[in-house]
Amino acid sequence: MSKGHHLVGVDVGGTFTDLIAHGPDGTLSSAKVPSLPGEQWRGVLAALASLGIAPASIGAFVHGTTIATNALLERKGARTGLVTTAGFRDLLEVGKGRRLVGGLFDPAWQRPAPLVPRDRRFEVSERLAADGSVVRPLDGFDFEGLAEALRGAAVEAVAVALVNSYVDRRHEQAVASALASRLDGVAISESAALTPERGEFERTSTAVLNAYLTPVMRDYLAALEAALAEHGISAPVNIMGSNGGAMTLSAAGERCAATFLSGPVGGVTGAVRVAESAGALDIITFDMGGTSTDVALVHGLAPRMSHDNQIDAFPLKMPQLDIHTIGAGGGSIVWVQPDGTLGVGPRSAGAVPGPACYGRGGDEPTVSDANLPLGRLPVGRALAGGLSLDAEKARAAFRTLASRGTEGDPAALASASLRIAVARMAGAVREVSVHRGFDPRDFTLVGFGGAGPMHAMEVAEELGITRVLVPRLPGHLSALGQMLADLRHDAVAAWGGRISELDIEALRARARTMHEEGAARLEADGVARDRQRHEFTLDVRYVGQSFTLPIPWNPGDADWTPLRIAFDTRHEETFGYADPANDLEIVNVRLVSIGEVDKPAVDFVPRGTGDPLIEHRSAWFGGWRETPILDRERLPPESRIDGPAIVEEAGGTTVVPPGWSVEVHRSGALMGTGNVRW
Amino acid sequence: MEEVGRLELIRESLVAVVNEMRANVIRSSYSSIIYEGHDFSCALVAPDGRLVAQGVDDNPIHNFSVPYSTAEVVRTFGDDIHEGDIFFHNDPYTGGTHLNDVLMLFPVFRKGRLAMFTATRCHWGDVGGMTPGSLSGRVNEIYQEGLRIVPTRICDRGRMNEAWLTLLFDNMRIRHERRGDFNTMLGTSRKAADHVARLFGRFGGEALIDAIDELIVRAERVMRDRIAGIPDGTYHAEGYLDSDGHGEAPLRGRLALTVAGDRLVADFTGSSPQTRGPTNVGPAMAFNAVASIVKSCLDPDTPVNHGSFNPIEIVNPPGSFLNATLPAPCGGMVECRALMCGLVVSALGKALPETRVGDLKGGGNHVYVSGPHPDREGIFLLYEYPAAGTGATARTDGSHGVRAFPEGDFNAVQSAEIVEAQCPLRIESYSLREGSCGDGEFRGGLGVRRDVRVLAREASLSVLADKNIIPPFGVAGGVGGAANRFTVVRDGGTIEPSPVPGKVGGFALEAGDVVRMETSGGGGCGDPLDRAPARVREDVALGYLSPEQACARYGVVVAADGGGVDTAATDAERRRLRASRVLAEAVLSNEADGDGPRRRIALPAELARRLEVEDGALVELATPECGAALRGWAAIADRRDLALSAEALAALGARAGDTVEVRRVHLAPR
Repeated sequence: MSKGHHLVGVDVGGTFTDLIAHGPDGTLSSAKVPSLPGEQWRGVLAALASLGIAPASIGAFVHGTTIATNALLERKGARTGLVTTAGFRDLLEVGKGRRLVGGLFDPAWQRPAPLVPRDRRFEVSERLAADGSVVRPLDGFDFEGLAEALRGAAVEAVAVALVNSYVDRRHEQAVASALASRLDGVAISESAALTPERGEFERTSTAVLNAYLTPVMRDYLAALEAALAEHGISAPVNIMGSNGGAMTLSAAGERCAATFLSGPVGGVTGAVRVAESAGALDIITFDMGGTSTDVALVHGLAPRMSHDNQIDAFPLKMPQLDIHTIGAGGGSIVWVQPDGTLGVGPRSAGAVPGPACYGRGGDEPTVSDANLPLGRLPVGRALAGGLSLDAEKARAAFRTLASRGTEGDPAALASASLRIAVARMAGAVREVSVHRGFDPRDFTLVGFGGAGPMHAMEVAEELGITRVLVPRLPGHLSALGQMLADLRHDAVAAWGGRISELDIEALRARARTMHEEGAARLEADGVARDRQRHEFTLDVRYVGQSFTLPIPWNPGDADWTPLRIAFDTRHEETFGYADPANDLEIVNVRLVSIGEVDKPAVDFVPRGTGDPLIEHRSAWFGGWRETPILDRERLPPESRIDGPAIVEEAGGTTVVPPGWSVEVHRSGALMGTGNVRW
Repeated sequence: MEEVGRLELIRESLVAVVNEMRANVIRSSYSSIIYEGHDFSCALVAPDGRLVAQGVDDNPIHNFSVPYSTAEVVRTFGDDIHEGDIFFHNDPYTGGTHLNDVLMLFPVFRKGRLAMFTATRCHWGDVGGMTPGSLSGRVNEIYQEGLRIVPTRICDRGRMNEAWLTLLFDNMRIRHERRGDFNTMLGTSRKAADHVARLFGRFGGEALIDAIDELIVRAERVMRDRIAGIPDGTYHAEGYLDSDGHGEAPLRGRLALTVAGDRLVADFTGSSPQTRGPTNVGPAMAFNAVASIVKSCLDPDTPVNHGSFNPIEIVNPPGSFLNATLPAPCGGMVECRALMCGLVVSALGKALPETRVGDLKGGGNHVYVSGPHPDREGIFLLYEYPAAGTGATARTDGSHGVRAFPEGDFNAVQSAEIVEAQCPLRIESYSLREGSCGDGEFRGGLGVRRDVRVLAREASLSVLADKNIIPPFGVAGGVGGAANRFTVVRDGGTIEPSPVPGKVGGFALEAGDVVRMETSGGGGCGDPLDRAPARVREDVALGYLSPEQACARYGVVVAADGGGVDTAATDAERRRLRASRVLAEAVLSNEADGDGPRRRIALPAELARRLEVEDGALVELATPECGAALRGWAAIADRRDLALSAEALAALGARAGDTVEVRRVHLAPR
């Protein structure tokens, strides 16, 4: 970023487009405008315009997008073809025989249709063995016939995924380039170029996802670029990737399937920055929105990675931050189950009609509605940010529950709904902590997103967590994370063997090649070598095991000893035992190449002055309590508030229950400390 | 006010305990069948054996038997259960599944009183016995299947019985892995017990136990309501396993399902005697199968607890292969359970037509290809259990090659690339088995075909699978799917690797041989001639059916250019097919129709001629209302009408005077 310029992060969500800008004078400004489905770039321009930032003053621009996710969920991707090794045409459809999504106790369950139906899947007569040797050569294959068949199927994109291409890409590349030269304007995705890892089903599925999304993504990026140019914005635009780093537009147009978590990842990287400035190194991010909640565990400021992922019903083998998503949020609908107990979700009121209290026609009670009868949201007064809520509609929605066979007045039902929702959220946090071998009590819960700050302390209490952090501008944290993102490329090579038989010099040579490729990629992105970092990780296991652990590796190591020690230690920590006598096997070499961008020291300290008290209100915390409602803009740094209290700001309401106290950290974040009740 | 929502919170908290147990098992296990195959389950159980909670991913095959085992432990030890005790169990005759599934019950006390058990049931890769892995199609008695553990206290007030454990592990293969399995279960149980104790502290012990009772009562109320909605009566079903692996005779399972008000009684009386082979189960599995299907068809939404099971009563006299006694081997548990699931589906479908489901593969489909590793010390082993087509329902087609609704969800085959990197084998193809679906207004899913070429000089093939001789059935006039088939292709010719199809023990393979696995199609639902022609055309366009099959089996004529349906030709073809059906009027006969386990169907000679079947051929009877088509073996008779015993009519769900269709049973796609 050059001086005198704005740095901008934009997060396009399903409902709203959030924008955050860091000005040359160090101020932060934010905007929230409705998203425009199908034309996300219009929302981006509208948000920029609403802040009055001069186009020419924009120095850099990172964009989180839901283009890929929406296109997949709505099945509006391209008409895609698939080319496989002879004998594997149906692999995409049958996988390994798993259901992958639901189906237990459901006789009428049907497997979701594959993204490429059978009549658009074609076979190539070729075969490599597991050692890369040619079993059946490609020579003489009738590419013209294949191209004609693909043309006949009117495909807009093609995935090429051949068995054992992770060992040797020759055949796959030959097929892809033969098709590229014959199919004009058709996007081609090669499986091993996207993920050269063992596992033909996952690799095929990844290539298909990528191909399916490519035309949609490229169209969008072209429209965005044109629109920005038209408005005089010449700053480089990057897209947030699922791996936690930004990617250039051209990279995003090649690796579309690497953007599924574009939005949530911004929240995690934003939370890391905020936590760092507040001195918290180990955090669990709790990003609760309208229809879903995303949680992730960050240990020592490093978010955990996940390499085997699934989007919808489809495996995706690309590195992503290990973000666990549950389909419950502020818009989750409260209902009466067959046995008379209350259920929360998975149905959601979504953006339209939205919760009953929005007054847009929703009449079923939601989690957000539950906050009104309990006095946690203002009645008869607009929230900071302008949204007015209709308490009577919320109450009426809860009354309808009572008529469906459950007991209790609206407030009692609302309180019950909140506690169930909190328990559900706590379950999601357990998933990324307890279930991965971490004790959540060792972490700080960072609550953000539209509904996160309202429930974070109660979720923490459910888990025995005693520290909660609520960043400033909690509704814009994803955009902030995007604004501050470094560029990042992930590379992997399926290379290895038993260390007793491997020459470490061969690994070093391999690493040098990968390092050079990573450096060249970043240079092409405009990052000089002195702003680059390259970090190797090896996927390692004991001989005989089939899962691996990621072990950081330094190419400067003289021998295998440091790896040996690191692996045994890590294994002991993870599984409770080590087996130092057993040989180790390296399965993959991974490289993360990071191109650092200039990041401003973001100042979150509120500027408001005057009495922070807005009003007193009766709110329910296991009993009605007279509760001060405070304006966060006017809370002085290092002041302390004891619960119960409610803190309002634009885009977020923080609920501080009794037993909790909150301090305004000098970085601007609210630091909550609580007592554990059980 | 805080009372509202309390039950929900407690339920959520109990399920959280089980989910945490699952995560612990997966994370700490180092036997691949557990951490990759997920062949284990966890649960919380009340002191009287009632199931309190299970996780969303837990497999009913394991869990729905846990109450039985727990009750047995409580029966055995009575008041003599103390803090610090731990119990072990795997005995099929007292509530176990098969010997490989080892259960640890860990009592949780509150104020000196037994308050709950945590239950962890894991499939151990080996529990001793005749062959590596312990399961074999060739066994004669349970002693060949490994060590049998009746309810046993392995830890007495905190003192582990090390001598007993040593004896156990010393008699199992890969001792350290078994020790690991044990440690995993122990660690998981301890953590879960702590977690439960914290819940007692949080909610109050009595309040928690009251809430559990209330949740069970409520689940029971829902299930009773649903059962009360079924017309009272007794609904019959019968079905077969191919054989016990030794002889050629099938095993017949019979079910009389009685609905009386809000109660269900499932009576398996009359099923074949127990066998020498592995196709037997102990008493817990009948309950397991009935509960799994009843839950699925009547109340899939209420979270699982014992309340859903309380209205179910099982009658199952000992000595049959569905309630076997010592020393019947029980390794073929999955096959027997699948048969019983099919019986319940069939009977329930007669009572509630909207719950009809076509049959599925009917067992484990275990395939082992192994031999000395040419490049390394030791052996290589490919172990797969390929999935098959699932059954159609009254409103949906089945799915292709996928695990079915009463089964846990895990991989059925391995990655070809991993297999090829580790074994001297090449996966030559893995594809849909075209035309294998069971036909119907809604068709079953297709099976798969998987060809594995042997590159080593020597190897051997073992298979334990069912429905190779008697294929999956269709319902409500729907047709059955193609049968499972496991063959070897050598020098271009096809070899049957065993005299009993699907039960192969150590067939010697040669370099260049191809092991061909072809799995069954799911059963269809409803009359195939009522299937929407556009759906058939779609199936043809995707190559699931050939144009010839569409015409011969569905009467749908697809225009020669591969385009649309020729409506006029289709109408004519459907009329012709309908007219050519072999129909007969059922009359009541008092003659016995049993031939050992085989039902004999006295087939008028004229009908036999039209069907082109000979004496002894497998045929089936179907009506539009029947649950499952009724199978039997043709006994060609010199008469014109179709004489059926009262029993046969009941099993078919027809009455004397009804018109019944008689069909040949095809094993391969036609």
